[in-house]
Amino acid sequence: MMFRPKIVGFLCNWSLPQEVNTTGTGIIQGYPKIRIVRVMCIGRIDPVIVLETFVKGADGVLVIGCHPPDCHYIEGNLQAERKIKMLKKLISRTGLEPERLRLDWAYASETELFATIIDDFRTQVAVLGPSPLAGKKPDENVLAGIMAAKAVTGDSRLRTLVGREKELIEEGNVYNEKVEQEEFDEVMNESIDEEYVRSRIRLLVKDRPMSVEGLARHLGLDPKKVLRHIVVLRHRGLVALDKIEREDPLYIALEVT
Amino acid sequence: MTVVSSAFKNKRRLPPCRAACPAEVNVQGYMALLQQGKFKESVELIRKSMPFPAICGRVCFSPCQDACSRKNIDQPVGIRYLKRLAADIEREQGRIKPDAVPKTHNEKVAIIGAGPAGLSTAYELAKLGYPVTVFERMPEPGGMMRYGIPDYRLQKYVVANEIAYIQDLGVEIKTGVEFGKDIEIDTLRNEGYKAIFIANGTQLSTKLGVPGEDLEGVFPAVEFLRDVSLGKTVDVGEKVAVIGGGNSAIDAACTSLRFGAKEVTVLYRRSRNEMPALPHEVEAAEKEGVKICFLVAPKQIIGEEGRVKLIECLRMKLGEPDASGRRRPVPIQRTEHTYGVDTVIPAIGQMPETSCLPSILLDERARAISVDQLTLETKIPGIFAGGDVVTRPASVIEAVGAGKRAAVSIDRYLNGANLRTGREEEIEETTWVKDWEKITRKSERYTAPHIDIGRQKVSFEKADELLTKIKAVATFEARRCLECGLCTECLGGEELCEADKAVVDETLCIGCNVCAIVCPFEAVKKNETGVAQVNEDLCKGCGTCSASCPERAIGMQRFTDSLILTNVAATLGEPT
Ligand SMILES: Cc1cc2nc3c(=O)[nH]c(=O)nc-3n(C[C@H](O)[C@H](O)[C@H](O)COP(=O)(O)OP(=O)(O)OC[C@H]3O[C@@H](n4cnc5c(N)ncnc54)[C@H](O)[C@@H]3O)c2cc1C
Ligand code: SF4
Repeated sequence: MMFRPKIVGFLCNWSLPQEVNTTGTGIIQGYPKIRIVRVMCIGRIDPVIVLETFVKGADGVLVIGCHPPDCHYIEGNLQAERKIKMLKKLISRTGLEPERLRLDWAYASETELFATIIDDFRTQVAVLGPSPLAGKKPDENVLAGIMAAKAVTGDSRLRTLVGREKELIEEGNVYNEKVEQEEFDEVMNESIDEEYVRSRIRLLVKDRPMSVEGLARHLGLDPKKVLRHIVVLRHRGLVALDKIEREDPLYIALEVT
Repeated sequence: MTVVSSAFKNKRRLPPCRAACPAEVNVQGYMALLQQGKFKESVELIRKSMPFPAICGRVCFSPCQDACSRKNIDQPVGIRYLKRLAADIEREQGRIKPDAVPKTHNEKVAIIGAGPAGLSTAYELAKLGYPVTVFERMPEPGGMMRYGIPDYRLQKYVVANEIAYIQDLGVEIKTGVEFGKDIEIDTLRNEGYKAIFIANGTQLSTKLGVPGEDLEGVFPAVEFLRDVSLGKTVDVGEKVAVIGGGNSAIDAACTSLRFGAKEVTVLYRRSRNEMPALPHEVEAAEKEGVKICFLVAPKQIIGEEGRVKLIECLRMKLGEPDASGRRRPVPIQRTEHTYGVDTVIPAIGQMPETSCLPSILLDERARAISVDQLTLETKIPGIFAGGDVVTRPASVIEAVGAGKRAAVSIDRYLNGANLRTGREEEIEETTWVKDWEKITRKSERYTAPHIDIGRQKVSFEKADELLTKIKAVATFEARRCLECGLCTECLGGEELCEADKAVVDETLCIGCNVCAIVCPFEAVKKNETGVAQVNEDLCKGCGTCSASCPERAIGMQRFTDSLILTNVAATLGEPT
């Protein structure tokens, strides 16, 4: 039987085709199957929600808003774009295919375009096959990655960066220094890398203490780098020294209250 | 804006378009509906404020459009055009007949005159459940919309369709009944009418006051246009001079052309800037070949064998501003000159017929009905008046505004309530936009040709294709609306939009102010105590701040994270 992907579509209230029932969720009549979750504005789509949608077993997530520069909320669509851009980079580190997430633009009146976007995306996801997170036995590695990513998107560093992106690039920082897009992307990539690894470490040492060596082996990273992350995490009060075993210090995650 | 501390002044905050509209039509709301392609719904929304979407879509002077914030960026949104389009689409696709409103009141209300003022009052009162009868002396209802404004601008079937809607609601219209002859205030009272609204408009043409006015071939504009509307054949000859600069002058000029006149000249005593006619109508008239001469006034009309032959005019110059604020035209001596004409159409103004009215209702010069400006009540309790008969010739939408105001008064009067309490209000124009420079969504106005789908000789497929195109253009144009008013303007809480609001958890907020950066409406920012605070008037509930807050300290009232995730789970649980 042909694989029929489960696709969740986050659509804003204003780009939602009329055919959709407005109760909040639903499947568009006459369109290729897609599961609609309505929000007022796609700017509302918290990265955490997208990742949680994958955890819940979606094979693909499609976010559709009005074409820029039109937006019922001036630039909610552009805010969403920044978040999705960051998310795709983050997801690519977890082992889940970033192609399972797509952002596209369409107006409510563009029924044909809607159908094309949905069709296209469905084909793309169908080619990728079922999500490693869907089904009874999700892939443990990918799940660990996504859980770490979820924790990262719930934390302040990437959220602050995404939130400030427009301001930094268009208006400059407090010293009126404007940041070039490339420069910003570099900082963003670096932050994603660092925070993602730190988040993985935190989750790994959540229930059992581990050494730097052990963590490095598990994550396939240079132990020196792992040590540097441990230093930061200890500094932030997220990880503490648990005990020393055969001269190896073992670290454990701290509960954050 | 001056701050009024007076206790009974309500303050209402409206976007500029709605604040400018005498009927307070919710423009922002129907723009939002049009953006979604909801044409019928948008017409229904307009009907909540007034019963004439298709009529106003054609002839309104659209103060909304002049006030539109978008003018600060490029060009105002084409509000009038969109209103017409939505209403036409609804009509062409078959208007759904509304159910009659059950009569929940016993008190009968009589309305004199079925013009826009009378009809709007009837409409509002019928919606409240009152038995309303409109008495009209002409064969058809509509007032100047039916017998003044010519068919090429406002088609009779359009007027009829919108009046039918009012009748569907349960309003009774009795035509061919003349107030002052067939009925009087006393007879109405005896028949059990508890309140009366007089809206008989201004049906008499103002006299030019020059010799020769009674010659054959002098045809006052209102009478001329009325005869044309009644289907009478009118012979205007080849050369026509129209005197005046208002809508009726332009309408009479264009109508003359349609009746075979070869040379139509409008003589106006001031300059173009002072013309009260709608500028786009003047332009259209000139395109059709109407010649407009400024700064001229007739001195006399000269006849031959009792018929008009020549018109003698004087040149004018503009002097000091008069009471209306316009510069007064002053004749320049010895500039007399004559034109040969077949017909002269004076169109310099209209006056109410006051002979049928008790003199106690009139103002001191007996030229209009005098009313309390706020309540529209006359000196006789229970008798109200509004529209042109009070304001002198004005406009459809102003008449509608008066009709609405009268309906509120009549409802209060019949319930024994105070007519004034809480009605003295101040309207404050409110928009969230503080810096127009920052708005980058510049776009030219989108336009599509007007069509009457049912009336154009095109194939069905072609008509369908055209309609789709027009609808697309309309949704684009509607998207130019900045929604600059407050959130609830877009029908917060109603079906269209579920008004949402951001809520800050102050224990989590660290005062980073990222919310202030991402909020498109400057609705949230750090306050003096260092935590984020939401201005509920400005917040439109997009949720961007909630999705961006680094500390996840901002949530939403309606679309909470957990609601969205519940919806995700629910939809994933649906069978494939
Ligand atoms: C030629 C022309 C063009 C115009 N163009 C525009 C325009 O483009 N845009 C715009 O906004 N406005 C325009 N106007 C103005 C607009 O039509 C009027 O301001 C508006 O119709 C006034 O409404 P009303 O209800 O007060 O009076 P009317 O529309 O005059 O209605 C009064 C009604 O009362 C009836 N009546 C009078 N006496 C009696 C009686 N004794 N018994 C029973 N019934 C009676 C009349 O027959 C009439 O039906 C135009 C007016 C004219 C004359
Ligand atoms: S929900 Fe939107 S409009 Fe309201 S405060 Fe947050 S960002 Fe601003």
